Amino acid sequence: MKIKSIHILLAIIIIIGGGILLASELDLYNTDRVKSPRKTAEGFYDIYDIRGSHTLEEIEKYYHLPASSAIDAFGLRPDTIPALFQLKDMKEIFKPVELEGEGYVVETDTVKVFTSLYLKIPYVSDETFYLPEKTVNYLIENDKLTGEEKEYWQGHTFKLEYLDSEYLAASEFSRIVVEEAEGFKVTGKTTVKELLDGGITEEKFEEVTGFKVPEDKSVLVRDFVIDKGLEFGEVKDKFAE
Amino acid sequence: MAKKQKKHLIRLVVQIFFLALIILISVNHFRSEQGLAPLLIGAPSLHAVCPFGGVITIYTYFTEGAFIQKIHQSAFTLMWLVLGLTLLFGPVFCGWVCPFGTVQEFIGKIGRKIFKKRYNNFIPSVIDKPLRYLRYVILALVVVNTAISGKLLFSNFDPYYALFNIWSSEVTRLSLLVLGLTLIGSLFVERPWCKYLCPLGALLGIFNLFRIVKLKRNENICINCKVCDRVCPMNIDISTSKTITDHQCISCLLCTDEIACPVSNSLNFSVLERKNPKEDLKKDSGDKIEESDSGGVK
Repeated sequence: MKIKSIHILLAIIIIIGGGILLASELDLYNTDRVKSPRKTAEGFYDIYDIRGSHTLEEIEKYYHLPASSAIDAFGLRPDTIPALFQLKDMKEIFKPVELEGEGYVVETDTVKVFTSLYLKIPYVSDETFYLPEKTVNYLIENDKLTGEEKEYWQGHTFKLEYLDSEYLAASEFSRIVVEEAEGFKVTGKTTVKELLDGGITEEKFEEVTGFKVPEDKSVLVRDFVIDKGLEFGEVKDKFAE
Repeated sequence: MAKKQKKHLIRLVVQIFFLALIILISVNHFRSEQGLAPLLIGAPSLHAVCPFGGVITIYTYFTEGAFIQKIHQSAFTLMWLVLGLTLLFGPVFCGWVCPFGTVQEFIGKIGRKIFKKRYNNFIPSVIDKPLRYLRYVILALVVVNTAISGKLLFSNFDPYYALFNIWSSEVTRLSLLVLGLTLIGSLFVERPWCKYLCPLGALLGIFNLFRIVKLKRNENICINCKVCDRVCPMNIDISTSKTITDHQCISCLLCTDEIACPVSNSLNFSVLERKNPKEDLKKDSGDKIEESDSGGVK
């Protein structure tokens, strides 16, 4: 049998197109990231696989590192929501520092080192040789460092500075849904539950979005409206009206 | 001739479709990061729609039951679909689907206009042939290092990711450099990334050795005009083989009697062996005279 272009075209449609449809039906074509980190040979979640997209809540879930400890150790706002705060968000909060002639950003690898020291699980970093002074002090106060570790890290600290000097002061306000004189401010990290708690009624939600309040109220408003084909910016403004 | 050009268009349309699809996905991903609604389709990351992601996570998947960082289940599924397609027809993915191959091919058309017959013939065979195996070294390095580190190291120099994600801060300078060199190189050599460096192309190329639908040349009716050799983007010596199993073939069909070969049934993709080539010779003798004027399309 002679194979021509049209046969190849059909094969692409059937195998690739049809395959994707079938896989979607079987829930085997998920384009969202699987967030579960890989496990070590001993069956524990691997510190090396902590990712920038992991939230503090996920770190607590997989590694049993309390989110409150990370918040305190890194000087994050006390009202930080562990379920929403991703490790990569740190680079938007802290100023980069110059260490031994090289730039360093407090981010995922810093949390890996902190987690390793806090939980006493080995992790060898190839980029983090200094920790914020606040973080080292937290580890010492909570008796998480051995004598040798204490000696090393006390000599390898730097002062943590915020990009926004008002960062901590801003925590006096409501954390996600900010009630202002003119209404509510919805951000990309506002969940449906927070929206409802913030005073938006279910009727108002339906009126603005054209859809009923989802059963899973932990979903982000942004994700919900985008999933329904709506423009997040417009919906956000309508909630603020 | 017009009929042949029309058939040539089928591949072009498929290539443009997938190129547009990837551009749309990239734009949507950018929009979603800005809080804007995606256009027409969803907004997955480029890693989610590249089958090579499935290849590099395969070790981690079977040993630890997890995908490596930034790799999605969809990439793993796509890998199996592409491998299935390749087992049947050879690296159709490279010749028809891969948007980065398409971009190189389009730039190559400019090179062909500038350099005419010299285009795609700049590198001496002595250097070119061993370089063609470099992509297997890259494949091995990427797979082994990814298995060891559990990280998507390839994205640090992946020109495909750099091209379609150029707005992202995740794109490294090294990948931009590789992208630039590849695009410039495409003006002189057809598909330089595919030929020398692409690890996915390397893996899919192996399937040319045992794919089900084979590219066959009928020696009995071939007129040795060598049009097939001239049109092959991968510089394969087609006119000297009976069954083309070269690891570089991308199943583009350009050489076949559907497009370039002037002799009907002389060179085509077929799934079953010819029983009696002499019969073909008799049957096609008329076509041979009639079609030999058509020549190639390139």
